[in-house]
Amino acid sequence: MKTVFINGSPKKKLSISSYLLGIVRLLVRGEVVSEQVRNAGDHERVLQSLKDADTVVFGMPLYVDGVPSHMLAFMREMEKFCIDNNIHLNVYVVSNGGFIEGCQNRPLMQVLENFCKRCNFQWRGGVGIGGGVMLNVMRIMFLIYAGLFVLNTVMSGLTAALPIFAEQLVVVLFFSLGAFFYCLRMGRAVNKGATCGVKFTRVLLPSFLFILAADIFFVIISIFQGGIFKGWLSRK
Amino acid sequence: MRFEVYAFLIYEYKILIASVLKGEHMKTIIHDLDESYDSLFKSKCENVIRADGRYAPCQGCFGCWTKHPAQCYLKDALQMVCRMIGKTDELVIVTDNYYGTYSPSVKNVLDRSIGVSTPFSTYRGKQMHHTLRYGKKKKLVVYAYGCITEDEKQTFRYMVERNAINYGFQEFEFYNLENLNQMENVEL
Repeated sequence: MKTVFINGSPKKKLSISSYLLGIVRLLVRGEVVSEQVRNAGDHERVLQSLKDADTVVFGMPLYVDGVPSHMLAFMREMEKFCIDNNIHLNVYVVSNGGFIEGCQNRPLMQVLENFCKRCNFQWRGGVGIGGGVMLNVMRIMFLIYAGLFVLNTVMSGLTAALPIFAEQLVVVLFFSLGAFFYCLRMGRAVNKGATCGVKFTRVLLPSFLFILAADIFFVIISIFQGGIFKGWLSRK
Repeated sequence: MRFEVYAFLIYEYKILIASVLKGEHMKTIIHDLDESYDSLFKSKCENVIRADGRYAPCQGCFGCWTKHPAQCYLKDALQMVCRMIGKTDELVIVTDNYYGTYSPSVKNVLDRSIGVSTPFSTYRGKQMHHTLRYGKKKKLVVYAYGCITEDEKQTFRYMVERNAINYGFQEFEFYNLENLNQMENVEL
């Protein structure tokens, strides 16, 4: 069984889509291929990898309530290619939006389902995740914590470093639990070629706290990037 | 490329000054049809964006919020498009149907226009959204042409409803056109 993971993020590295696809991939057996579509130059390569595939798992960010424009262009080419080559696939999708409510991914899921109907693919379901940027921040924080843990172990010994690291790890895992659970569940469904339905989850934080954290995050980034001094909130 | 940007800026400010002086209701049309339709749309509305697909997709960098507000770092014809969309009272979109959503070229214009909002968040429609840099707008109207199924119609209507909330439009309308000849009789 061949599964192709298609990352639809335009970012070269550290994209949340690649992170989430990586979690789905943990439980997927058989031949696995990872591809990324960033522009039209990637189309031919990715389409060729679909020729002998059984399953496709899309990972993409939510842009203005829907599929990013460069992915729509790819999907239309994929439709033509798969119909011409009589390719029938099981399709899954993991999408993530910046807003906290995972259900804001619902229009994107519907578009993917309509796409599957047009292509005669089997729509197997998707996971829509809210608070994607924060999940990415958590991942980066985990890497920093892991580095500090190694440093602390060398300086103070394992018994002193471990409880601190364990506490930090639990916090990161807790906030990301919903995303991890549904991504791993999708990985199991991919192995069986089964339907996993459309599920929505989020960073496990109350929305008013999430908004506060997001506002602070953007203030800090805007200070560093200088936007705050250039009529940050004004009508231009 | 730089000439295009300057030309666009002059065009944009000319429209803004005219609308302020006359107290006009500002309307913008985005379409993905060929150039022959430009004259039709320009006869109905001064502010027309032809989405010809000759520009880069959004890179998701948030620079239009955090680095150079309401301006994209990609220096092409869409660099300032969020300002034009932000100032409009009524946005009309004419697009090919792609599985119940906009065509890639029209979606690209929308993806590149998130500078209409600020990085700050609020609740709108009981859900999290960004606050609006240019305030609330009147109406979003979408005409979809091309082959469309019943499921795609429902998806498209839902998409337009979601977009209206996101952009701060108070009303929205969605129509599907069975053929493009209908476009001439549409009252934009």
